[in-house]
Amino acid sequence: MDFDFWGMIGAFPSLSRAAFTNLTIAIVAMSLAMLGGTTLTILRSFGISIVNGAISTLISFVRGTPILVQIFLFYYGLPAIGLDLTPIQAGVLAIAVNSSVFITEIMRGGLSGMDTGPVEAAIALGVRPRAIWGRVILPQLYIRILPPLVNELTTVVKGTALLSVITVIEVLRTAQQIANTTFRPLEPLLAAAVILFALNLAISQAGKHLETRFAARRG
Amino acid sequence: MKSLLKVTNLSKSFGAVPALRDISLEVMAGEVICIIGPSGCGKSTLLRCINHLTFPDGGFVELGDVYIGREPMAGGKVRMQSHSQIDKLRPRMGFVFQQFNLWPHLSVLENITRGPIKVQRRPRPEVEADAMVLLTRFGLADKATAFPAALSGGQKQRVAIARALALEPQLMLFDEPTSALDPEIVKEVLLFMRELAESGVTMVIVTHEIAFARHVADRVIFLDGGYVAEEGPAEELLTNPKNPRLREFLSQIDSPVMGCSA
Amino acid sequence: MTLDFSIIVDNWQLFAKGAVLTLVIAFISIGIGFLLSIPVALMALSHRWWLRWVSGAYVEWFRNVPFIVVVYIFFYGLPFAGVRLPEAVVGTLALAIYASTYFSEVIRGAVLAVPKGQMEAARAVGMSYFMGMREIVAPQTLRLLLPPSTNTSISMIKETSILSTITVAEITYQGLVVQGATFAPFEVFMTTAVLYWLITSIFARFMHGIERRAGIAQGGNQNRHSLADKYLQIGTKRVQE
Repeated sequence: MDFDFWGMIGAFPSLSRAAFTNLTIAIVAMSLAMLGGTTLTILRSFGISIVNGAISTLISFVRGTPILVQIFLFYYGLPAIGLDLTPIQAGVLAIAVNSSVFITEIMRGGLSGMDTGPVEAAIALGVRPRAIWGRVILPQLYIRILPPLVNELTTVVKGTALLSVITVIEVLRTAQQIANTTFRPLEPLLAAAVILFALNLAISQAGKHLETRFAARRG
Repeated sequence: MKSLLKVTNLSKSFGAVPALRDISLEVMAGEVICIIGPSGCGKSTLLRCINHLTFPDGGFVELGDVYIGREPMAGGKVRMQSHSQIDKLRPRMGFVFQQFNLWPHLSVLENITRGPIKVQRRPRPEVEADAMVLLTRFGLADKATAFPAALSGGQKQRVAIARALALEPQLMLFDEPTSALDPEIVKEVLLFMRELAESGVTMVIVTHEIAFARHVADRVIFLDGGYVAEEGPAEELLTNPKNPRLREFLSQIDSPVMGCSA
Repeated sequence: MTLDFSIIVDNWQLFAKGAVLTLVIAFISIGIGFLLSIPVALMALSHRWWLRWVSGAYVEWFRNVPFIVVVYIFFYGLPFAGVRLPEAVVGTLALAIYASTYFSEVIRGAVLAVPKGQMEAARAVGMSYFMGMREIVAPQTLRLLLPPSTNTSISMIKETSILSTITVAEITYQGLVVQGATFAPFEVFMTTAVLYWLITSIFARFMHGIERRAGIAQGGNQNRHSLADKYLQIGTKRVQE
């Protein structure tokens, strides 16, 4: 059997359309994860030992288990304990929770390397914690951790392809559907790989562009 | 006196920036040459091009009667030696770095013996015995098993010199050997290098220590903008500089701190 | 709603088999992946642009494509090229290649962290580039290599779960089998997750033990004590003095 190059090219239009699902899921999940990561980070700063213990366990659990299994837990497991979710909802939630934890870790790293001066000054001036977070720390922190956040977004995009396993019609699932009608799995698969590759490359290049812009503004 | 090192029309650019332009110089056996000049004038590049740590763009380097890098062939052609050929010739010139570059994961003795054992494939017991002789002569015999992190700056630089000498080079190249040292240690190392010079080792030294150059060097070369701007006997050149740039350079650099009059 | 973990006990043999296969595949693919990564990293560090380009393209491709897609390409591509191998072997191979790109970045970073003068000193005593790498640079990268290699290895252990999609009977696959037979998804996938959690935790603990023995310091800046610690030192355990 020869490689059907034109078959691969022919798969691009429908796969590209499906890639918008991946991108949408990734953006929604990433936004939720930013919210989740920020919340977890601020929660941890209160120093309540039970809360911090719970968060540490969550972090360890999520980091120590495969995201595929986490997706299965949300998709198959939550309905069993009474929470019914559509495949997309379950998938977005699973990826968002997973990513929240990694973003919390990224934020921890970013915080520990930050200049103590402005925060000390704010404390000394009696600025309220809410404003210290909102006005002093977070704006600086987000710029500072932009490179690992962009990297995390590419990981999230890669995670969206896993949702094909729970029947979400995204790039990989679409490629499989094409394969089922043409009986040629390799061509649409390679096309899907190229699309996801291009998407992630675009994200990381855009990240580098943003990074230099922020660096220029600060300097 | 016999000519030992002959550099002809050496040139090197980094991108569009020329670092060395058409440099020619000759070093006699047993001679001590100091190369001085403002920073960025190509002193270090010249030294590194001589032993081909950096490859020059043009010109020839001849040590004794052996070319390193480019060799002229019959009919005006030039042949480039292979990398492995150059690797074999390079240790004929010992190189001492400004930052010492001792290997932190190896003991002092291993720092000195690794080259002769791995490169020259000499038997370990013999190499170690020779290294101990060197270390004893350098007053470092008790540091043989120590690691570089446990040494003072001056001791580190002496070990680095011993490491270069262990390969029995015909010529020693020093790239600002005292620039990374604390002021009180500079003198110790300079005195040590002076002893080395007096023992007959041929040395080419890039340095900012004008007083040292005056006392120890046979000849001084003033490098400016990638050219040899002036060269001559040390005393004469440093006392009565003809080149206005050299005069300016000397007036800026000559401070009493750097004295090595002992 | 009641959770019934007795079905896990009833099916413990399947989970045990799955765990063994996961460990074997992870171990082999991490080993091969690391070995493969050495030439990839050396190419990335070469002064020949085309070697850097080849290595860069290889690394960028695999780092930007989801592993599940890589697995499928191997799974369908190898038979297409006339190579027929058991699924577990295909999966191990795919993971080894995927891992090699991540390890090559780890190695490249470690080599770049060794000061340039170290190699120059090696060259100055007459060593070739490769001898300098072997004798002088490589030994100094070991302690820099260990912590990120641990992290990458843990990621790769987790990636083995994706091999369930090409019917490799590792932990996740066994979980799906038990789930199909018992319809107790929460219990099954919780158990599956906990098995991975155990494996990765034990592995991490083991590697940190080695790191400590190799004298690699843990934790960050512990000298700093500031009013701002409440905000900026989150989740880092203070070192007792």
